[in-house]
Amino acid sequence: MKIKLYCLTSALVGIILLSGCWSNQELPDLALVSAIGIDLEKDGRYTFTVQVINPGNVAGEGMQGTGGSESPPVSTYTESGWNLTEINRKLSKKVSRHIYFAHTNLVVISEKLAQEEGIMPVLDVLERDHEFRSSAQIVISHQSDAEDIMKTLSSIDKVPANKIINTMKSTEKVWGEHVSVSVRELIAKLVSPGEAPVVTTFHTIENQGETLQSIQRTNPDGRLEAAGLAIFKKGKMVDMTTGEISKGIVWLLNKVKNTAVSVQWEGEKHAAVFDLIRQQTKVSADVEKGGTVRMKVNVAAEGNVSEVQHPINLASPQALNKMEQRVEETIKQSIMHAVDKAQELETDILGFGEAVHREDPEKWKKWEDEWEESYFPEVQVDVSADVFIRRTGLRDEPFHRYLTK
Amino acid sequence: MPYRLRRLFKSKKQQAPSSADQKEKTPLGTSLKDNLKEFKKRTGNSSDVVIRTLTTGGMQWEAAIVYIDGIVDNTSIDEFLLEPLLQLEVPTTPVLQQDIPDYISEQVIALGGIESVLDWETLFEAVTIGRTILFIDGAAKALSTSTIGGERRAVEEPPTEISIRGPREGFTESIRTNTAMVRRRIKNPNLRVKTMKIGRQTKTNVEIMYLEGIADEKVVEEVRRRLKQMDMGSILDSGYIEELIEDQPSSPFPTIHFTERPDSAAGNILEGRVAVFVDGSPFILHMPAVFIQFFQSVDDYYSRSYIASSLRMLRIMVFLISLYAPATYVAATTFHQEMIPTQLLIVLSAQREAVPFPALIEAFIMEMTFEVLREAGIRMPKAVGQTVSIVGALVIGQAAVQAGIVSPAMVIIVAITAIASFTTPSYSMAIAARLIRFFLMVIAATFGFYGLILSFIMMTAHLCSLRSFGVPYMAPLAPFVPADFHDSIIRLPWWKAKERPRLISGQNNVRQGDDLKPEAPGTQSIRKQRKNTGDLNED
Amino acid sequence: MEKAKINAGQLFVLIFLFEMGSALLLSLGIEAKQDAWMAVMAGMFGSLLLFWMYYRLYLFYPDMLPTSYMQDIIGPFLGKIAAYLYILVFMYNAARVLRDFGEMLVIFAYNETPLFIINALLLLLVVYITHKGIEVIARTGEILFVVLYVLAVTGSILILVSGLINLDHLKPVLEGGIGRILKTAGTETLYVPFGEAVVFFMILPYVNRPDKIKPAALSALVLSGINLSITMAVNVAVLGVDLTERSQFPLLNTIQAIQVAEFLERLDVFFMIALIVGGFIKISIYFYAAVIGASDLFRVKEISRLVFPLGLVVLFLSMVIASGYAEHIREGLHFVPLYIHLPFHVILPALLLTGAALKKRHSVNKRN
Repeated sequence: MKIKLYCLTSALVGIILLSGCWSNQELPDLALVSAIGIDLEKDGRYTFTVQVINPGNVAGEGMQGTGGSESPPVSTYTESGWNLTEINRKLSKKVSRHIYFAHTNLVVISEKLAQEEGIMPVLDVLERDHEFRSSAQIVISHQSDAEDIMKTLSSIDKVPANKIINTMKSTEKVWGEHVSVSVRELIAKLVSPGEAPVVTTFHTIENQGETLQSIQRTNPDGRLEAAGLAIFKKGKMVDMTTGEISKGIVWLLNKVKNTAVSVQWEGEKHAAVFDLIRQQTKVSADVEKGGTVRMKVNVAAEGNVSEVQHPINLASPQALNKMEQRVEETIKQSIMHAVDKAQELETDILGFGEAVHREDPEKWKKWEDEWEESYFPEVQVDVSADVFIRRTGLRDEPFHRYLTK
Repeated sequence: MPYRLRRLFKSKKQQAPSSADQKEKTPLGTSLKDNLKEFKKRTGNSSDVVIRTLTTGGMQWEAAIVYIDGIVDNTSIDEFLLEPLLQLEVPTTPVLQQDIPDYISEQVIALGGIESVLDWETLFEAVTIGRTILFIDGAAKALSTSTIGGERRAVEEPPTEISIRGPREGFTESIRTNTAMVRRRIKNPNLRVKTMKIGRQTKTNVEIMYLEGIADEKVVEEVRRRLKQMDMGSILDSGYIEELIEDQPSSPFPTIHFTERPDSAAGNILEGRVAVFVDGSPFILHMPAVFIQFFQSVDDYYSRSYIASSLRMLRIMVFLISLYAPATYVAATTFHQEMIPTQLLIVLSAQREAVPFPALIEAFIMEMTFEVLREAGIRMPKAVGQTVSIVGALVIGQAAVQAGIVSPAMVIIVAITAIASFTTPSYSMAIAARLIRFFLMVIAATFGFYGLILSFIMMTAHLCSLRSFGVPYMAPLAPFVPADFHDSIIRLPWWKAKERPRLISGQNNVRQGDDLKPEAPGTQSIRKQRKNTGDLNED
Repeated sequence: MEKAKINAGQLFVLIFLFEMGSALLLSLGIEAKQDAWMAVMAGMFGSLLLFWMYYRLYLFYPDMLPTSYMQDIIGPFLGKIAAYLYILVFMYNAARVLRDFGEMLVIFAYNETPLFIINALLLLLVVYITHKGIEVIARTGEILFVVLYVLAVTGSILILVSGLINLDHLKPVLEGGIGRILKTAGTETLYVPFGEAVVFFMILPYVNRPDKIKPAALSALVLSGINLSITMAVNVAVLGVDLTERSQFPLLNTIQAIQVAEFLERLDVFFMIALIVGGFIKISIYFYAAVIGASDLFRVKEISRLVFPLGLVVLFLSMVIASGYAEHIREGLHFVPLYIHLPFHVILPALLLTGAALKKRHSVNKRN
């Protein structure tokens, strides 16, 4: 009995071990894709660009055998077709290795595709595929093709995809005009009837940044830079905002971390700068009996004065109080601009619908289907802001307080 | 066929002890001449056998002493055996021929252990352990005197179990010295030592030692039973015994713990374990052993409990690293690239770019190289040991990477594994990990993390299924015995360790008094004083 | 019956791991939308009643396996049929969990590996441990329990630190009213995973201290309920209701969302360990129950004789019960609760309990 048992076990183990090795692949067999770009052709086909990392040129310095960085850190491959899976398979005609998407951190969708066809059709595969990570960031290309963005090299971050992601994250953090959105968050907002997504757009100059020479200059040719916020409605991009309006949107989404606000003083428009340290924006809905919706937006912000161009006596609390009021005005204004824009476009990028849903689920059930068209544009918004200036840096009064008098 | 073979084997096994028992004993003769002749014949005139004839009792009794040179203490033969014999005058009262041996043993010889010997078998047993035999003409009885001695290694610091803080002495090859070292630590008449002789050829002394009343009677009985069953040809080291009495010889994990340190042996006996001493081996075995014991070093008991606990946890973690590090590397780089952080993957990928082997082969090459180096380092004479390490460092560290045969990451992994495998205090556990590591690498290369996780569960299940002399191997972790947990992967301070391990010492669990926790004397009164007088610093 | 004993602590660990088993990975009670966590809790409280029923049944026959005492309660013929059916159910459930588990691995990590191989490997391990007996299963469980808990705590800390939790996703609370929660609990969470604890009436006779069974088992159920409920709440808070609903394995998505310090990311291996450990214990317990049931019913003394053949049956059953994952899930949602869970987890034990109680009263009356 025991012998039989051992025989059976060893036979089973043997069969299993000998027939193993299905899903394995060695590292040199992989083409690590750092970013993908999706464009729309004139005939409705997609153009799919993958940006593949050349590991030796990214990590190669200081290692023997791999030589200097004569070749670029990434290569791009482009193919077109009717669906992404098919294109991906067709790409194997050009790439010698398994195209591996598990490390794709960036998805670039062209403005044209987002405007004409909408982004929904291409998102499914990104969510369904087990290799692809839905924590990848998504951006829209502005006034350039996704392919061009893929091709543009960057100098400090060797992998251009990282450059885009890091730029987006850092500008979100210190300036607050853009938001970084992952594929997962994007889809969640697309399906929610009470929310619509905004996505950061990026811009480059066509055919300028493809060569290593272009990044050997102190002022690289093809500049990858964040442009604005793409506003989506029912999965299609309807507009792009920049400047004040974008900032207002980010304020409303409670994603502002640091930013600088110019303060008007005695007629001078940019007399001082308020440097935001932390803030909390609360959006709550108030559904009145008649059916009118009143949104209450409350911004609580604190920060420092970081720069003064006009001789303001910062040692005086009254001056600071006054300054706080000015900042509050500015923030309110920019929020109202954003609200006006969204209501004009009839798309709830500000998440007001979700606030209503949380507040009054029963009413929401009735409104859900026509929220954006019928109810959202009519929403009244009350904005209140409380700004506190905590400190004024290493000096109180500016050195030119007497000079300019 | 196998059945028949097995039966054959079985019958042989059963016959063997009976034939040994039935051996007839041949009595000694009365004539000295004949006896010496017989003795010479039986020893085949071996050159280290010394026979010295003499007359004693005022030149009237013919006698001879025989011993084996080298294993006897010459001084005691000369001073306490030969001298009194040669100076013996004619006895004042006449002595009968057959009573001479008794007379001599009672009145002449100044040595402690004297036994009279009637047959040749007993005689040879005595001679071969270093006793001296005195033949006297006319008596069919010889005297065996205790003159055991000869050159022995002195007590030294144990080379395999180093401790920073703790006794420096280690066991030697002499069984008596060894038992004495333990006895010196446990001054308790309940400390029992039972002897048996094992080995047809070697007749090795094997002794079991335990504390009556603390050790589990059943375990003691079981150890004795298993030792009795052994019918080995020879026992040269305690390793023989270990292999023959352990519960699961087919498992890679040791179920019997051995030590070279008397303090460790004493500690284990005090916890209720049974120790087995083997003559000629500086390693003593104790049983039952539990898994966690192999990660405990004697230093743990001598240092502060926080430090000891952290070190124990570190050792277990590091043991897992030494098992899984190369396998995880292989699995991660060939199956689960998605789980490696991107930056790290790019670096790894750049390194692997030029390496001509698959990750498994690469790992195998490096691990094998390391194992070879380690083995060579142990076997080489110490004088050339340096060479090995230099060649090893160059081959593993530099040349292989420069030649592009292995990637630097792999070298790091192997180095980590190697260092990790040296931190396990027990050699037998560390060596098990060495073996399993290769198996895990193959699993990792076929099934990735799935295989590794399965193998981990399998290993856990296997460890949980082991028992050492009736005690579950993974105790006190599984089954979880809260009362014993104070000395497992952690060591709580002594005042928390009021009881002995429950599963090991069956009875009599309480080992010490209450309230051992030290408190600074007079803390209370000082505090009170401060309240009244304020802080003393101020004046 | 195998000559082995486990202690109450081990019973606690086994029940806990069994409940967490595959339930940890699925979107449990998601029909209650953002109130799924409440549906889990409600199911857990319901299951306490069920377990009390199994426990009472055990109290009538503390030294016998259900496969034996069924024959005592409803007569040898019917009892044997019932016992046989239970064995089949346990084997079917083992095969179902095995299939669930294999499919998950194939979907998320081993796309090209045949399902059969994945299943066979795990089943080999299950057969090995079942062969070793309940004591080894229990001890292994104790160690795996620690492993799982360390993982869970680390995972929760990482999720908290990454700031992924958005409590707004859990609002509005009680949108569908209590009715929806109770409905979800009554149709889903009560049976899977909590009602599945019926398998433990095969294990209870092995516990060495009968007086400790009740606290151990009930606290295990409560603890596992709380843990599952927290897991579901975290899933919904991180992913939102919609994604949790559509995701095959929400926990995987939650774990994948973790990003701490640019390095602690891509922790899928956490999910994998939880998946394999949980699946392993669950299948082992089902399989063990089937094996001892069969050995008791067919009077086969050596468990090891049954382990291999029954193992093969479970393995092949796991392959043939459905042709694809969608079919498998649909069976699980529509067929299994009605035809397996309801009769075997609720109705039959209730009938048996009534029978046992009547019989007891009858015999007491007789004696008087």
